[in-house]
Amino acid sequence: MTAVAQQTPADAPERAPFEEEALTHADQLYRIALRLSGSPQTAEELVQETYLRALRAWESYRPGTNLAAWLATILRNVYLDEARKQSRRPAVEVLDDESEYFLYDQLAGETPPQTHEVVLNRLSGEAILDAIANLPENFREAVVLVDVGDFSYQDAAEILDVPIGTVMSRLHRGRRLLKRALAEQIPGGDT
Amino acid sequence: MTVDTCKGVEHQLQAYLDRSLTPDEVGMIEVHLGECEYCRQRYHFEAQLRETVKTVCCGDPVPNDLVDKVRLQLRAQSG
Repeated sequence: MTAVAQQTPADAPERAPFEEEALTHADQLYRIALRLSGSPQTAEELVQETYLRALRAWESYRPGTNLAAWLATILRNVYLDEARKQSRRPAVEVLDDESEYFLYDQLAGETPPQTHEVVLNRLSGEAILDAIANLPENFREAVVLVDVGDFSYQDAAEILDVPIGTVMSRLHRGRRLLKRALAEQIPGGDT
Repeated sequence: MTVDTCKGVEHQLQAYLDRSLTPDEVGMIEVHLGECEYCRQRYHFEAQLRETVKTVCCGDPVPNDLVDKVRLQLRAQSG
């Protein structure tokens, strides 16, 4: 094993299969990065750095395992490093005693029963993105990975390096907080 | 249908949407949703809310040149 990285023919073939496989996940990584960071420019930088680190670590990837989850793990580490530099806001405590349906109830208001489409139409895309951006870090990660990134509980547990039960509880609380934030942005039942 | 059943469905609804319940639990929820308008309406809302969140988040345009830029940088790095 030599400590000096040299441009040898042996290095050359590695990059092509890496690009071939890993770059197919760029869109998914970008969307996760964007929802984690809230900024398109930062998201792009995070994805760039993720791929650089991934290429360096490519030998540790085991073919046949979940490549998207492997890349997302690196992305998350890159993101944490950046967030640490900028010392983001601390997590807040969550009250956990609300009804599952309080957002529905608030959106439906006092008017006669409405279809869920009508109720949902009262939420703007901007309100949803704001609500996600303002979730405490731990909860946002879980919600973004599972609800936006389509990762399973198990994948998310590996990416976040926590037990699966922790993913489930963060997800649960993150979704509750999301709904509460949405409820706060909606003027109550006047139609 | 009892209030208790509605409460139980409310409690398990997110797990149901995550497809993380046992077949028995799924069966009980689906029977109840077939019978109870109150829960069905809320179930549809929660399911649609998930979809809406995802659609909004995945509607972000990914920069056209993202992959090209990454490729360039990888090549610059690996020589």
